Amino acid sequence: MAGDGLYVYAVVRGGTPPPEGAGGVGDPPGVPRTVTAGAVAAIVSDAPARLRARRRDLLAHQELLMRLAEGGPVLPMRFGTVAPDEGALLARLAGARKNYLAVLDRLDGHVEVNVKALPAADSLADVVAEEAAVRRLRDEARRRPGYETSVRLGEAVASALSRRAAEAGREVLRELAPLARAVAHGPEVQGCALNTSFLVPHDRGEHFRTTAERLAEARRSHVEIRFAGPLPCYSFVGDADAPGRPAAVTGG
Amino acid sequence: MTTTTYADGIVPCPPRAGTLYDVLELILDRGMVIDVFVRVSLVGIEIIKIDARIVVASVDTYLRFAEACNRLDLERDSGSTTVPELLSGGVAKSVGKRKVRKAAESVGDTVRRAVGGDDEAEEEEARPRKRRAPARPKSGASRRRRAEA
Repeated sequence: MAGDGLYVYAVVRGGTPPPEGAGGVGDPPGVPRTVTAGAVAAIVSDAPARLRARRRDLLAHQELLMRLAEGGPVLPMRFGTVAPDEGALLARLAGARKNYLAVLDRLDGHVEVNVKALPAADSLADVVAEEAAVRRLRDEARRRPGYETSVRLGEAVASALSRRAAEAGREVLRELAPLARAVAHGPEVQGCALNTSFLVPHDRGEHFRTTAERLAEARRSHVEIRFAGPLPCYSFVGDADAPGRPAAVTGG
Repeated sequence: MTTTTYADGIVPCPPRAGTLYDVLELILDRGMVIDVFVRVSLVGIEIIKIDARIVVASVDTYLRFAEACNRLDLERDSGSTTVPELLSGGVAKSVGKRKVRKAAESVGDTVRRAVGGDDEAEEEEARPRKRRAPARPKSGASRRRRAEA
Protein backbone atom coordinates (compact mmCIF):
# COMPACT_ATOMS: atom_id res chain seq x y z
CA MET A 1 0.00 0.00 0.00
CA ALA A 2 2.26 2.75 -1.24
CA GLY A 3 1.17 6.04 0.26
CA ASP A 4 0.10 8.38 -2.55
CA GLY A 5 -2.12 10.61 -0.50
CA LEU A 6 -5.47 9.98 1.13
CA TYR A 7 -8.42 8.57 -0.70
CA VAL A 8 -11.47 10.49 0.56
CA TYR A 9 -14.84 8.70 0.69
CA ALA A 10 -17.04 11.21 2.40
CA VAL A 11 -17.38 14.24 4.60
CA VAL A 12 -19.35 13.54 7.77
CA ARG A 13 -20.05 15.11 11.12
CA GLY A 14 -17.16 15.15 13.58
CA GLY A 15 -16.82 12.03 15.67
CA THR A 16 -18.33 9.68 13.09
CA PRO A 17 -16.43 6.40 13.21
CA PRO A 18 -15.53 4.55 10.01
CA PRO A 19 -18.06 1.81 9.26
CA GLU A 20 -17.07 -1.41 10.96
CA GLY A 21 -15.81 -4.19 8.77
CA ALA A 22 -16.03 -2.22 5.51
CA GLY A 23 -12.92 -2.33 3.38
CA GLY A 24 -11.74 0.59 1.27
CA VAL A 25 -10.48 0.89 -2.28
CA GLY A 26 -7.29 -0.85 -3.34
CA ASP A 27 -5.96 -4.36 -3.28
CA PRO A 28 -5.61 -5.34 -0.50
CA PRO A 29 -8.52 -3.14 0.60
CA GLY A 30 -7.54 0.05 2.37
CA VAL A 31 -8.46 0.44 6.02
CA PRO A 32 -10.88 3.32 6.48
CA ARG A 33 -10.32 5.82 9.26
CA THR A 34 -11.68 9.17 10.35
CA VAL A 35 -9.80 12.44 10.02
CA THR A 36 -11.53 14.94 12.27
CA ALA A 37 -11.41 18.73 12.17
CA GLY A 38 -13.73 19.77 14.98
CA ALA A 39 -17.36 19.55 13.96
CA VAL A 40 -16.66 17.95 10.60
CA ALA A 41 -14.60 14.94 9.59
CA ALA A 42 -13.64 12.92 6.54
CA ILE A 43 -13.57 9.17 6.12
CA VAL A 44 -10.34 8.23 4.32
CA SER A 45 -7.94 5.42 3.63
CA ASP A 46 -4.42 5.45 2.22
CA ALA A 47 -4.75 5.91 -1.52
CA PRO A 48 -3.57 2.90 -3.48
CA ALA A 49 -0.69 3.53 -5.84
CA ARG A 50 -2.52 2.68 -9.06
CA LEU A 51 -6.17 3.45 -8.62
CA ARG A 52 -8.49 2.86 -11.54
CA ALA A 53 -12.27 2.69 -11.90
CA ARG A 54 -12.18 -1.05 -11.32
CA ARG A 55 -15.35 -2.83 -10.45
CA ARG A 56 -14.18 -3.87 -7.01
CA ASP A 57 -12.97 -0.35 -6.22
CA LEU A 58 -16.23 1.21 -7.36
CA LEU A 59 -18.07 -1.31 -5.23
CA ALA A 60 -15.84 -0.67 -2.24
CA HIS A 61 -16.49 3.07 -2.53
CA GLN A 62 -20.24 2.50 -2.82
CA GLU A 63 -20.44 -0.13 -0.07
CA LEU A 64 -18.53 2.00 2.38
CA LEU A 65 -20.81 4.96 1.75
CA MET A 66 -23.90 2.80 2.11
CA ARG A 67 -22.70 1.55 5.47
CA LEU A 68 -21.70 5.02 6.55
CA ALA A 69 -25.11 6.42 5.64
CA GLU A 70 -26.74 4.03 8.09
CA GLY A 71 -25.19 5.98 10.93
CA GLY A 72 -26.00 9.54 9.93
CA PRO A 73 -25.84 12.10 7.14
CA VAL A 74 -23.03 11.74 4.61
CA LEU A 75 -21.60 13.95 1.89
CA PRO A 76 -20.39 11.36 -0.60
CA MET A 77 -17.28 12.25 -2.55
CA ARG A 78 -17.11 11.54 -6.23
CA PHE A 79 -15.15 8.36 -6.94
CA GLY A 80 -11.42 8.91 -7.18
CA THR A 81 -10.95 11.93 -4.95
CA VAL A 82 -7.48 11.96 -3.43
CA ALA A 83 -6.15 14.52 -0.96
CA PRO A 84 -2.39 15.08 -1.12
CA ASP A 85 -1.95 14.61 2.64
CA GLU A 86 -3.71 14.90 5.97
CA GLY A 87 -2.69 18.52 6.44
CA ALA A 88 -4.32 19.60 3.19
CA LEU A 89 -7.46 17.67 4.06
CA LEU A 90 -7.69 19.20 7.54
CA ALA A 91 -7.25 22.67 6.08
CA ARG A 92 -10.03 22.03 3.61
CA LEU A 93 -12.40 20.63 6.24
CA ALA A 94 -11.79 23.60 8.49
CA GLY A 95 -12.17 26.09 5.65
CA ALA A 96 -15.50 24.77 4.37
CA ARG A 97 -16.83 23.62 7.73
CA LYS A 98 -19.88 25.87 7.79
CA ASN A 99 -20.93 24.87 4.31
CA TYR A 100 -20.44 21.16 4.95
CA LEU A 101 -22.45 21.26 8.15
CA ALA A 102 -25.31 23.08 6.45
CA VAL A 103 -25.57 20.45 3.73
CA LEU A 104 -25.19 17.60 6.22
CA ASP A 105 -28.11 19.07 8.16
CA ARG A 106 -30.17 19.34 5.00
CA LEU A 107 -29.48 15.72 4.03
CA ASP A 108 -29.98 14.30 7.51
CA GLY A 109 -32.76 11.73 7.50
CA HIS A 110 -32.90 11.55 3.70
CA VAL A 111 -31.91 9.01 1.09
CA GLU A 112 -31.44 9.24 -2.66
CA VAL A 113 -33.62 7.15 -4.93
CA ASN A 114 -32.54 7.01 -8.56
CA VAL A 115 -35.14 6.42 -11.24
CA LYS A 116 -34.23 5.45 -14.77
CA ALA A 117 -36.67 5.14 -17.63
CA LEU A 118 -35.76 2.66 -20.33
CA PRO A 119 -37.56 1.65 -23.49
CA ALA A 120 -40.08 -1.06 -22.71
CA ALA A 121 -38.59 -4.37 -23.66
CA ASP A 122 -41.64 -5.88 -25.32
CA SER A 123 -43.04 -2.91 -27.21
CA LEU A 124 -41.44 -3.45 -30.60
CA ALA A 125 -44.65 -4.62 -32.21
CA ASP A 126 -46.48 -1.55 -30.87
CA VAL A 127 -43.79 0.70 -32.28
CA VAL A 128 -43.97 -0.86 -35.73
CA ALA A 129 -47.75 -0.68 -35.69
CA GLU A 130 -48.05 2.86 -34.38
CA GLU A 131 -45.09 4.78 -35.77
CA ALA A 132 -45.45 5.84 -39.38
CA ALA A 133 -41.78 6.66 -39.82
CA VAL A 134 -40.75 3.22 -38.66
CA ARG A 135 -43.22 1.55 -40.99
CA ARG A 136 -41.96 3.58 -43.93
CA LEU A 137 -38.33 2.66 -43.24
CA ARG A 138 -39.29 -0.95 -42.72
CA ASP A 139 -40.93 -1.05 -46.14
CA GLU A 140 -37.86 0.53 -47.63
CA ALA A 141 -35.65 -2.00 -45.89
CA ARG A 142 -37.71 -4.78 -47.38
CA ARG A 143 -37.49 -3.35 -50.89
CA ARG A 144 -33.75 -2.67 -50.65
CA PRO A 145 -32.27 -4.85 -47.94
CA GLY A 146 -28.80 -3.89 -46.87
CA TYR A 147 -26.62 -2.41 -44.20
CA GLU A 148 -27.64 1.23 -44.80
CA THR A 149 -31.38 0.65 -44.73
CA SER A 150 -31.04 -1.67 -41.75
CA VAL A 151 -29.14 0.90 -39.73
CA ARG A 152 -31.69 3.59 -40.63
CA LEU A 153 -34.60 1.36 -39.70
CA GLY A 154 -33.00 0.25 -36.47
CA GLU A 155 -32.12 3.80 -35.57
CA ALA A 156 -35.71 4.90 -36.14
CA VAL A 157 -36.92 2.06 -33.93
CA ALA A 158 -34.42 2.92 -31.21
CA SER A 159 -35.38 6.57 -31.30
CA ALA A 160 -39.13 5.81 -31.24
CA LEU A 161 -38.68 3.41 -28.31
CA SER A 162 -36.68 6.05 -26.50
CA ARG A 163 -39.18 8.83 -27.15
CA ARG A 164 -42.10 6.73 -25.97
CA ALA A 165 -40.16 5.79 -22.85
CA ALA A 166 -39.28 9.41 -22.18
CA GLU A 167 -42.88 10.55 -22.52
CA ALA A 168 -44.24 7.88 -20.21
CA GLY A 169 -41.27 8.27 -17.88
CA ARG A 170 -41.89 12.01 -17.52
CA GLU A 171 -45.43 11.29 -16.40
CA VAL A 172 -44.05 9.04 -13.67
CA LEU A 173 -41.52 11.67 -12.61
CA ARG A 174 -44.18 14.36 -12.45
CA GLU A 175 -46.24 12.24 -10.09
CA LEU A 176 -43.26 11.37 -7.93
CA ALA A 177 -41.84 14.88 -7.58
CA PRO A 178 -44.29 16.01 -4.87
CA LEU A 179 -43.23 13.05 -2.71
CA ALA A 180 -39.59 14.13 -2.73
CA ARG A 181 -37.77 16.89 -0.94
CA ALA A 182 -35.69 17.65 -4.05
CA VAL A 183 -35.22 16.41 -7.58
CA ALA A 184 -31.95 16.24 -9.52
CA HIS A 185 -31.62 15.30 -13.15
CA GLY A 186 -28.76 12.89 -13.60
CA PRO A 187 -26.22 12.65 -16.38
CA GLU A 188 -27.27 11.03 -19.62
CA VAL A 189 -26.87 7.30 -19.55
CA GLN A 190 -26.64 5.25 -22.70
CA GLY A 191 -29.81 3.26 -23.14
CA CYS A 192 -31.83 5.31 -20.65
CA ALA A 193 -34.45 7.79 -21.80
CA LEU A 194 -34.51 9.52 -18.42
CA ASN A 195 -32.25 9.47 -15.39
CA THR A 196 -33.48 11.36 -12.35
CA SER A 197 -32.74 11.21 -8.64
CA PHE A 198 -35.08 12.06 -5.81
CA LEU A 199 -34.18 13.13 -2.31
CA VAL A 200 -36.67 11.24 -0.17
CA PRO A 201 -37.21 11.42 3.58
CA HIS A 202 -35.95 8.21 5.14
CA ASP A 203 -39.31 7.30 6.61
CA ARG A 204 -41.17 7.99 3.37
CA GLY A 205 -39.03 5.60 1.36
CA GLU A 206 -41.52 2.76 1.38
CA HIS A 207 -44.39 5.01 0.32
CA PHE A 208 -42.26 6.48 -2.46
CA ARG A 209 -41.38 3.04 -3.74
CA THR A 210 -44.87 1.59 -3.74
CA THR A 211 -46.22 4.70 -5.47
CA ALA A 212 -43.44 4.54 -8.03
CA GLU A 213 -44.08 0.88 -8.72
CA ARG A 214 -47.76 1.48 -9.22
CA LEU A 215 -47.08 4.31 -11.67
CA ALA A 216 -44.53 2.22 -13.54
CA GLU A 217 -46.82 -0.78 -13.78
CA ALA A 218 -49.55 1.31 -15.39
CA ARG A 219 -47.15 2.34 -18.18
CA ARG A 220 -45.22 -0.83 -18.73
CA SER A 221 -46.14 -1.03 -22.40
CA HIS A 222 -44.21 2.19 -23.01
CA VAL A 223 -41.47 2.30 -20.44
CA GLU A 224 -39.43 0.14 -18.13
CA ILE A 225 -38.77 2.01 -14.90
CA ARG A 226 -35.81 0.96 -12.81
CA PHE A 227 -35.24 2.13 -9.27
CA ALA A 228 -32.02 2.14 -7.33
CA GLY A 229 -32.10 3.05 -3.72
CA PRO A 230 -31.93 3.91 -0.99
CA LEU A 231 -28.56 5.34 -1.91
CA PRO A 232 -26.13 7.82 -0.38
CA CYS A 233 -27.16 11.28 -1.54
CA TYR A 234 -24.66 11.59 -4.41
CA SER A 235 -26.86 13.92 -6.41
CA PHE A 236 -27.76 16.30 -3.60
CA VAL A 237 -24.44 17.54 -2.32
CA GLY A 238 -25.36 20.68 -4.27
CA ASP A 239 -22.93 23.50 -3.85
CA ALA A 240 -21.38 22.04 -0.72
CA ASP A 241 -17.99 22.54 -2.21
CA ALA A 242 -17.83 23.88 -5.74
CA PRO A 243 -20.59 26.45 -6.22
CA GLY A 244 -20.39 26.29 -10.01
CA ARG A 245 -21.20 22.62 -10.28
CA PRO A 246 -24.07 21.72 -12.58
CA ALA A 247 -25.99 19.83 -9.92
CA ALA A 248 -29.45 20.82 -11.01
CA VAL A 249 -31.13 20.70 -7.65
CA THR A 250 -34.62 22.01 -7.54
CA GLY A 251 -37.35 22.00 -4.97
CA GLY A 252 -36.51 22.16 -1.39
CA MET B 1 -16.14 -9.80 -1.11
CA THR B 2 -19.34 -8.50 0.35
CA THR B 3 -22.53 -8.65 -1.60
CA THR B 4 -24.59 -5.69 -2.56
CA THR B 5 -27.28 -6.12 0.03
CA TYR B 6 -27.54 -2.68 1.44
CA ALA B 7 -28.75 -1.33 4.67
CA ASP B 8 -30.89 -4.25 5.67
CA GLY B 9 -33.41 -3.39 8.32
CA ILE B 10 -32.14 0.13 8.73
CA VAL B 11 -33.66 1.85 5.75
CA PRO B 12 -37.34 1.33 5.18
CA CYS B 13 -37.07 0.43 1.49
CA PRO B 14 -36.17 -3.12 0.64
CA PRO B 15 -32.64 -3.00 -0.68
CA ARG B 16 -32.77 -2.92 -4.42
CA ALA B 17 -29.79 -0.69 -4.92
CA GLY B 18 -28.02 -3.85 -5.95
CA THR B 19 -26.44 -3.42 -9.32
CA LEU B 20 -23.33 -1.44 -9.91
CA TYR B 21 -24.33 -0.81 -13.49
CA ASP B 22 -27.46 1.02 -12.36
CA VAL B 23 -25.56 3.45 -10.16
CA LEU B 24 -22.29 3.69 -12.05
CA GLU B 25 -22.86 7.22 -13.31
CA LEU B 26 -23.77 8.43 -9.82
CA ILE B 27 -20.52 7.12 -8.36
CA LEU B 28 -18.43 8.49 -11.23
CA ASP B 29 -20.24 11.72 -12.10
CA ARG B 30 -22.07 12.78 -8.95
CA GLY B 31 -20.92 13.22 -5.42
CA MET B 32 -18.87 16.04 -4.08
CA VAL B 33 -15.79 17.38 -5.80
CA ILE B 34 -13.09 19.31 -4.02
CA ASP B 35 -11.34 21.36 -6.64
CA VAL B 36 -7.98 21.45 -4.96
CA PHE B 37 -7.82 17.66 -4.67
CA VAL B 38 -6.86 15.41 -7.50
CA ARG B 39 -9.36 13.14 -9.08
CA VAL B 40 -7.20 10.25 -10.07
CA SER B 41 -6.28 10.97 -13.65
CA LEU B 42 -6.57 7.37 -14.73
CA VAL B 43 -10.22 7.36 -13.80
CA GLY B 44 -10.85 9.92 -16.52
CA ILE B 45 -9.13 7.79 -19.08
CA GLU B 46 -11.31 4.84 -18.15
CA ILE B 47 -14.44 6.89 -18.67
CA ILE B 48 -13.34 8.00 -22.12
CA LYS B 49 -12.74 4.37 -23.03
CA ILE B 50 -16.25 3.44 -21.94
CA ASP B 51 -17.76 6.23 -24.06
CA ALA B 52 -15.90 5.07 -27.12
CA ARG B 53 -17.12 1.53 -26.68
CA ILE B 54 -20.69 2.65 -26.25
CA VAL B 55 -20.67 4.40 -29.63
CA VAL B 56 -19.64 1.15 -31.23
CA ALA B 57 -22.27 -0.72 -29.26
CA SER B 58 -25.12 1.54 -30.35
CA VAL B 59 -24.69 0.80 -34.04
CA ASP B 60 -24.74 -2.82 -33.00
CA THR B 61 -28.01 -2.13 -31.21
CA TYR B 62 -29.52 -0.49 -34.30
CA LEU B 63 -28.66 -3.52 -36.38
CA ARG B 64 -30.30 -5.81 -33.86
CA PHE B 65 -33.47 -3.72 -33.89
CA ALA B 66 -33.52 -3.90 -37.67
CA GLU B 67 -33.12 -7.64 -37.57
CA ALA B 68 -35.93 -7.93 -35.03
CA CYS B 69 -38.19 -5.85 -37.30
CA ASN B 70 -37.52 -8.09 -40.23
CA ARG B 71 -38.33 -11.05 -38.07
CA LEU B 72 -41.71 -9.48 -37.32
CA ASP B 73 -42.41 -9.26 -41.04
CA LEU B 74 -41.62 -12.90 -41.55
CA GLU B 75 -44.02 -13.86 -38.81
CA ARG B 76 -46.79 -11.85 -40.39
CA ASP B 77 -46.14 -12.96 -43.94
CA SER B 78 -45.75 -16.60 -43.09
CA GLY B 79 -49.26 -17.26 -41.95
CA SER B 80 -52.42 -15.96 -40.49
CA THR B 81 -51.00 -13.64 -37.87
CA THR B 82 -52.74 -10.33 -38.34
CA VAL B 83 -51.76 -6.95 -37.09
CA PRO B 84 -54.28 -7.02 -34.22
CA GLU B 85 -52.79 -10.33 -33.17
CA LEU B 86 -49.34 -8.84 -33.31
CA LEU B 87 -50.49 -6.10 -31.03
CA SER B 88 -52.08 -8.41 -28.55
CA GLY B 89 -48.82 -10.13 -27.84
CA GLY B 90 -47.87 -13.70 -28.48
CA VAL B 91 -45.57 -14.20 -31.40
CA ALA B 92 -44.45 -10.70 -32.03
CA LYS B 93 -43.93 -9.83 -28.43
CA SER B 94 -41.87 -12.86 -27.68
CA VAL B 95 -39.62 -12.14 -30.63
CA GLY B 96 -39.47 -8.45 -29.95
CA LYS B 97 -38.77 -8.83 -26.27
CA ARG B 98 -35.96 -11.27 -26.78
CA LYS B 99 -34.32 -9.12 -29.39
CA VAL B 100 -34.69 -5.86 -27.56
CA ARG B 101 -33.40 -7.35 -24.36
CA LYS B 102 -30.45 -8.87 -26.17
CA ALA B 103 -29.59 -5.57 -27.76
CA ALA B 104 -29.87 -3.73 -24.48
CA GLU B 105 -27.70 -6.28 -22.74
CA SER B 106 -24.98 -6.00 -25.30
CA VAL B 107 -24.50 -2.37 -24.32
CA GLY B 108 -24.45 -3.27 -20.66
CA ASP B 109 -21.92 -6.00 -21.23
CA THR B 110 -19.69 -3.58 -23.04
CA VAL B 111 -19.69 -1.19 -20.15
CA ARG B 112 -19.05 -3.93 -17.66
CA ARG B 113 -16.14 -5.19 -19.67
CA ALA B 114 -14.67 -1.73 -19.87
CA VAL B 115 -15.04 -1.09 -16.18
CA GLY B 116 -14.28 -4.39 -14.67
CA GLY B 117 -12.75 -6.65 -17.25
CA ASP B 118 -10.13 -7.86 -14.83
CA ASP B 119 -12.58 -8.94 -12.18
CA GLU B 120 -13.90 -12.06 -13.78
CA ALA B 121 -14.67 -13.77 -10.48
CA GLU B 122 -17.06 -11.01 -9.51
CA GLU B 123 -18.54 -10.52 -12.91
CA GLU B 124 -21.82 -12.20 -12.09
CA GLU B 125 -22.45 -9.72 -9.36
CA ALA B 126 -22.33 -6.81 -11.77
CA ARG B 127 -25.16 -8.00 -13.94
CA PRO B 128 -28.23 -5.84 -13.79
CA ARG B 129 -30.69 -7.84 -11.75
CA LYS B 130 -33.68 -6.34 -13.35
CA ARG B 131 -37.03 -7.98 -13.64
CA ARG B 132 -36.55 -10.59 -16.24
CA ALA B 133 -39.27 -12.42 -18.01
CA PRO B 134 -39.08 -16.15 -17.40
CA ALA B 135 -37.47 -18.09 -20.17
CA ARG B 136 -39.83 -18.95 -22.98
CA PRO B 137 -38.98 -22.48 -23.96
CA LYS B 138 -42.37 -22.95 -25.56
CA SER B 139 -42.24 -20.06 -27.99
CA GLY B 140 -42.36 -22.51 -30.88
CA ALA B 141 -45.45 -24.14 -29.51
CA SER B 142 -47.23 -20.88 -28.83
CA ARG B 143 -46.37 -19.73 -32.31
CA ARG B 144 -48.02 -22.79 -33.75
CA ARG B 145 -51.06 -22.35 -31.57
CA ARG B 146 -51.42 -18.79 -32.66
CA ALA B 147 -51.06 -19.70 -36.32
CA GLU B 148 -53.81 -22.28 -35.97
CA ALA B 149 -56.12 -19.94 -34.14
